[in-house]
Amino acid sequence: MLRRSVMTLPGGRSLLPASLVVLAAAIFFVDTVTNLEIAVAVFYVAIVLVAVRYLDQRRVVVVASACMALTLLSFILTRAGSFPAGMVNCAISLAAIGVTAYLALRTAAAEAAARQAQAQLAHITRVTVLGELTASIAHELNQPLAAIVINGNAALRWLGAKPANPDEAAQAAERIVRDANRATDLIKRLRALTKRGPGKAVWLDVNQIIADTLTLVRSEVARNHVSLAIDLADELPPVQVDPVQIQQVILNLVVNAIEAVSAQPAPSRAVEISTSVVPAGQVIVTVSDSGGGLGGAEQDRLFDAFYTTKPDGMGMGLAISRSIVESHGGRIWAGAAGGRGAAFSFSLPAGKAAIHEPGIARKAPVRK
Amino acid sequence: MNETKPIVFVIDDDPSIREALDSLLRSVGLEARCFGSVKEFVAAPRPDVPSCLVLDVRLPGKGGMDFQKEFALSETPLPVIIMTGHGDIAMSVQAMKTGAVDFLPKPFREQDLLDAIEAALEKDRARRAEARELAMLRERLATLNEGERRVVAQVVQGRLNKQIAGELGVSEITVKVRRSRAMRKLHAGSLAELIKIAGRLGI
Repeated sequence: MLRRSVMTLPGGRSLLPASLVVLAAAIFFVDTVTNLEIAVAVFYVAIVLVAVRYLDQRRVVVVASACMALTLLSFILTRAGSFPAGMVNCAISLAAIGVTAYLALRTAAAEAAARQAQAQLAHITRVTVLGELTASIAHELNQPLAAIVINGNAALRWLGAKPANPDEAAQAAERIVRDANRATDLIKRLRALTKRGPGKAVWLDVNQIIADTLTLVRSEVARNHVSLAIDLADELPPVQVDPVQIQQVILNLVVNAIEAVSAQPAPSRAVEISTSVVPAGQVIVTVSDSGGGLGGAEQDRLFDAFYTTKPDGMGMGLAISRSIVESHGGRIWAGAAGGRGAAFSFSLPAGKAAIHEPGIARKAPVRK
Repeated sequence: MNETKPIVFVIDDDPSIREALDSLLRSVGLEARCFGSVKEFVAAPRPDVPSCLVLDVRLPGKGGMDFQKEFALSETPLPVIIMTGHGDIAMSVQAMKTGAVDFLPKPFREQDLLDAIEAALEKDRARRAEARELAMLRERLATLNEGERRVVAQVVQGRLNKQIAGELGVSEITVKVRRSRAMRKLHAGSLAELIKIAGRLGI
């Protein structure tokens, strides 16, 4: 679903019907001027196959019917050649067009169902991960709310003081607005993550996606006494991604890393997130941890569905992460972190230039 | 009592909460000193005035609870008020066991916090007064000479002057003189008071 929307160029859609019509006209012309024995009409199959790729079911049926009509018409119009042979050829062509359209539509429907199932699974695992983070997210939301209440009370007290202090009250009110916005931002981010259905691929800075994701896990990191290091490359080229899906991958990897280090004594629980660019035009995101590391046998099966090393794990996190990354044209892999622990990385194909538009440029630096 | 302005120390890793508490505490005339971590608080100077500590349980690095446990055992413990985020009931029990004055789930009513702070400061004032008095008694005790101190030690055990004289090998008059001198130096008006003072000093 995503890959298709990524690959469809804005101009491609309007060019397509025209090129199909030209192709159909060419086949019709050749079919009509050549002898009846030459079965040019079977090439209409190509039109049907192209149509299946880009048009919906109803339109494909219309296209296939049109092709069949054209086949019959040129059979009637063609004068040269043997009539019985022409009739057999015509029948074969009609059957080929009909059967191709039918099979291609069936395949397309199956693919669509598979994609939808995968999207639903991604949604479920996303919600599951967020469910694991409920306590932390609630805390993260509670902080600005608590600050709002305290500021509100402070403002009232400043105003009620004798003499009243409107300057202090105004400052408290400003902090209320700021903290309310902070809570709203968090809710927006959560809503985006729990939203169902296909997302939109947009050009984004991976660093910003990481910063957004970390606001959701910040408190989980603190709660587990994990020291989180963030090493983001400056001036990353943009990537064309569905931000919700990439957030999901980052969330999966970070939550896994936190779990991996939780068995260690508190002072040596470390997780690092870094980004880099490789000359081949890939942006790389790496999440490494100081946990127990990966066994050799484990490493091969990590990304398989339903494979899990956690007692209450579903075994879907990394499988979904892989399908998301691959649908973006990237790759995901696991290895050993420097020293000990595991490192998970994924790559995304990079665009040309660093993002400079104000709307999506990197905002404030990431807070731990 | 002409006391200096009390100080409320706050440790919370969230700058929003720190700013809000700073403003609230200043609005009621308290001095607030806010820190983002236990480390910063420990490194900061602690003036000799009644104080208390408002502590968030969930802190980066060393958690609030661990710190409170250690802090309660330190030489200069302050009364601690614990703030917590979302539903840490088990933590509240643990906090009270380790001697926290109060436990406030966020968001809390500001009056609850101010009441808790007032109670904590009162507790610290009492502790400080107690410490001051004990220091004063120790000073007075230091003015007693060896003979007077021996006599006091015997008197508080309920011995009669005659017995003490026999024990220490001095005349009964000497015992009487030392006893009255010691009582004057320790500001004890009666035998009962002397016994109380000796009890506090651990004689």
